[in-house]
Amino acid sequence: MTNEEKIAILEEMLELENGTLSEATELLAIEEYDSMAKLSLIVTSDEEFGKKLSGEQIRTFKTVGDILSFWG
Amino acid sequence: MRPLLNFNNKNIIVAGVGGIGQATVLELASMGANIIMIDANEQALNETIFKLGQGKHSTHICDFSKVDTIEPLIKNIVKESGAIDAFVYCVGIGAVRPLKLSKYEFMRTVMDINFFSFIEMIRCISLKGNYNPKETNIVGISAIGAFLGNSTKTAYCASKGAMNAAVRCLAKELAPKNIRINTVAPGVTDTPMARASEDYGSESEEYKSILQRQYLGICSPNDITNAVVFLLSNMSNKITGSCLSVDGGKLSS
Repeated sequence: MTNEEKIAILEEMLELENGTLSEATELLAIEEYDSMAKLSLIVTSDEEFGKKLSGEQIRTFKTVGDILSFWG
Repeated sequence: MRPLLNFNNKNIIVAGVGGIGQATVLELASMGANIIMIDANEQALNETIFKLGQGKHSTHICDFSKVDTIEPLIKNIVKESGAIDAFVYCVGIGAVRPLKLSKYEFMRTVMDINFFSFIEMIRCISLKGNYNPKETNIVGISAIGAFLGNSTKTAYCASKGAMNAAVRCLAKELAPKNIRINTVAPGVTDTPMARASEDYGSESEEYKSILQRQYLGICSPNDITNAVVFLLSNMSNKITGSCLSVDGGKLSS
């Protein structure tokens, strides 16, 4: 899966317009990146990428790129 | 031993041998019961039967998301062990996810495991010849989430609420067969399932506030087992169709 496709998954998950996010986008700057979004991230990581994500790992993510790298 | 708490040579099915289930198995076996354990996890079954040591106990593997595998399983169990005196359903997945990701397939899986398999077990056990016609007792582990609004736990809480509603109906329907049926609704209990839920980082704040409201503290699996044993025993002869909350006071706060 390309990074563009992964970003599209994130945008859909956060209910953002296409093209809102880039790899460099800082997560703290995304208003929609709240506790519910983090829970969605855990579910999406598991279902779409087969990766278990812990709360501790989430706290290490600083940018959209960090999430994309985790997804692999 | 108090005669009302005598389970000598009773055939008791315990489905789900995780935290609460395993504590229930150990307690009932210590009171003389023959335990028939069912779980999807072979390792959990082996660990539990190892802890039991000697006794007429058996283990069976069952994937509770496949409801149609239950009928042949119960037939086999009755063939091997004889009629069932009691049944405890401790199976459950504590699925946490936002509504937008709670699609039908997910909702159905949670309901299959937490609710439909519970009902199917009762249906099969309550067929003639499969249960003790003098007295049979059933307890399902519900949750106080059945009575509360918990964000992101729609599937879980709905499945537990469904158990309580079904039990009220089944209590009436099965009373002529001398079958009593109740649920226990635990508050936050120290089990592997609760620890997995806590690991959802975003849950932590909510989890802390829940603990504040559970002012008698976190339940241990044995706190829940004590209620199960009571409901399976003759001490609760006139209790059926009810839900007993063991929640450290949470519902009252």
